[in-house]
Amino acid sequence: MRVTVCFYSYFKDLTGCAQAMETLPDGSTLDALFQQLMLHFPKLAGMKKSTLMAVGVDYQDRTCVLQEGDEVSLFPPVQGG
Amino acid sequence: MKRQLTLTTQPIDEPALLAQRSLSDGMGAVVCFLGVVRGTQGDASIRALEYEVFQRMAEHQINLLFDEVAQRWPIESVRLVHRIGLVQVNEPSLWVEVVAPHRGEAFAACQWLIDEMKRVVPIWKKPVMDKT
Repeated sequence: MRVTVCFYSYFKDLTGCAQAMETLPDGSTLDALFQQLMLHFPKLAGMKKSTLMAVGVDYQDRTCVLQEGDEVSLFPPVQGG
Repeated sequence: MKRQLTLTTQPIDEPALLAQRSLSDGMGAVVCFLGVVRGTQGDASIRALEYEVFQRMAEHQINLLFDEVAQRWPIESVRLVHRIGLVQVNEPSLWVEVVAPHRGEAFAACQWLIDEMKRVVPIWKKPVMDKT
């Protein structure tokens, strides 16, 4: 299956892009996606513990099972206000 | 509970917001909060903050917070305005208004909403440093 990954804030600097397409085995979790992303974008490895992840517009934990066509967003802790 | 959310690149127009205020006869408290860009970050001077938002998710998350405010307190209305893009030092980046029957719930709801917004709403800021 294919999912779209969007990066926000300084994650765009770490990866050098705002968006990427990733292909994963069916039934893959967010954690599996993150492991794959660390191979493609090694600078993400240093952010493993603080990375927030969302599918669509809702936060999800790393056990979340992805679906074909999902839009996944990765970003650092938020700083509004 | 009435609710209004604005994420905007335009300056926050406080007089216009105040002119649009409406409250029923049973309301006894209006709490307004204005967040302003400080001129320092740590030991460094800055001239502005550049705000970035994941708009769809930010709107969704703030509406979830509004839902919870409505469940927790007898609030008549809440309005929240957040600047996006470049905001100069001394300019407001956040405006929040809570209207309630009494000050206790108005203060509590306003404080909780801002704390939670800073925890879950996908907005980030990057300092723009002084050139000197």
